[in-house]
Amino acid sequence: MPESGHRGLQRPLPLACDGESSSPLPLQRQAPLSHNSELGRRWEGGRAGIGGSLSRGPGERKLRLCGDLIPEPSLLQSVVVSVAMASRLLRGAGALAVQTLRASGPARMAVRSMAKGGGIPSDEEQATGLEREIMMAARNDLDPYNMYAPKAAPGTQEEPNLVPSITDKRIVGCICEEDNSAVIWFWLHKGETQRCPNCGTHYKLIPHQLGH
Amino acid sequence: MTHQTHAYHMVNPSPWPLTGAMSALLLTSGMIMWFHFHSILLLFMGLSTMLLTMYQWWRDIVREGTYQGHHTPVVQKGLRYGMILFITSEVFFFLGFFWAFYHSSLSPALELGGCWPPVGIYPLNPLEVPLLNTAILLASGVSITWAHHSLMEGSRKQMIQALTTTIALGLYFTILQATEYYEAPFTISDGIYGSTFFVATGFHGLHVIIGSLFLIVCLIRQLFYHFTSTHHFGFEAAAWYWHFVDVVWLFLYVSIYWWGS
Repeated sequence: MPESGHRGLQRPLPLACDGESSSPLPLQRQAPLSHNSELGRRWEGGRAGIGGSLSRGPGERKLRLCGDLIPEPSLLQSVVVSVAMASRLLRGAGALAVQTLRASGPARMAVRSMAKGGGIPSDEEQATGLEREIMMAARNDLDPYNMYAPKAAPGTQEEPNLVPSITDKRIVGCICEEDNSAVIWFWLHKGETQRCPNCGTHYKLIPHQLGH
Repeated sequence: MTHQTHAYHMVNPSPWPLTGAMSALLLTSGMIMWFHFHSILLLFMGLSTMLLTMYQWWRDIVREGTYQGHHTPVVQKGLRYGMILFITSEVFFFLGFFWAFYHSSLSPALELGGCWPPVGIYPLNPLEVPLLNTAILLASGVSITWAHHSLMEGSRKQMIQALTTTIALGLYFTILQATEYYEAPFTISDGIYGSTFFVATGFHGLHVIIGSLFLIVCLIRQLFYHFTSTHHFGFEAAAWYWHFVDVVWLFLYVSIYWWGS
């Protein structure tokens, strides 16, 4: 899904979608998005539309406004245009706001109901460095950077909690029961399986080389 | 191989905190020189070093996050906390000025005529440009939400349009406020009314400008494809800041422009 996001627009973009990309962002991507977007057409058409209605003058629009009780897109346009005309300060830049309101409403709904517009990279395509490493490891349920608390093993003599260490001992903090605030701290040494002095679950030190 | 075993970002040594502190000293002493001795040299040096520091520090953060991938989930979480705490501190900053306004306006002094607005002050009509400004900022809140959703849904063109709309509305607000300041019948030196009005709305206007600049930076980054559909905290931070600016305006409008008139 993420890889085909903007491929659908058939632009010749030099994207690496092999999931291993760690290259810097291709800043040379300057492909213009001027083709099949319906929103683009509406945006272009909006200007002419507003220009046309403004040139017809405010009075006619206001009469329509008073009589209509049923909401419809043209009423919305009338309201918007009347508000635009009412304030002497809304001539120039205000037209932009009006166009925006007009173009964004129906067009936004149309784009959402269509397939994605595309053009925005995903993390799959663009993440790099440590962020990417962590993302790829998490896919395989790995936690090489110890972001999460370790999952508890059964803790029996046959299946002790395995504690990796790059030396011969490591401190263990046992939260015997969930939500206990008193953590039981003790050194776990290489060799025999040790037990928590409080709850008795088993822990075993596993000598471990860093993978990175 | 001695790589880190944690997911945090140990930032490389950087000169920008030092240059930032030096620019703070130049700015403060520069203001003293300007106020008392009519000299702008130190102030100018302070402003330029501040701008250089900001540009280079934030450029480095973009390099570290977007180009080098140092912004892992925990790092991002820290950045989120940071932005929220900063905005909270700004809330308290404005709270002070609202306190000053309500202190003076709820029991107006005898010298003011015992009333609010004070005798001789003709406040701006809240239903004219201030109401338009309210509509502008509310609309900009809508457009920035549109931009965010476009970004999350992967629509580049819409996101750029929506963000441009937001920036345009912000600039429009600034221009309108500037003309209001120019045309206002009262000044900052017109008693406590003038002081509270212009200090509160003035700092708000400064924050609108800062927020607009933040959004412009986001637009430039979006044009350069920095944001992904799931990782775009810079934009989220700008959006939070912009909503904060909007909310402050709503309080300003209701308190100073509407109730205070």
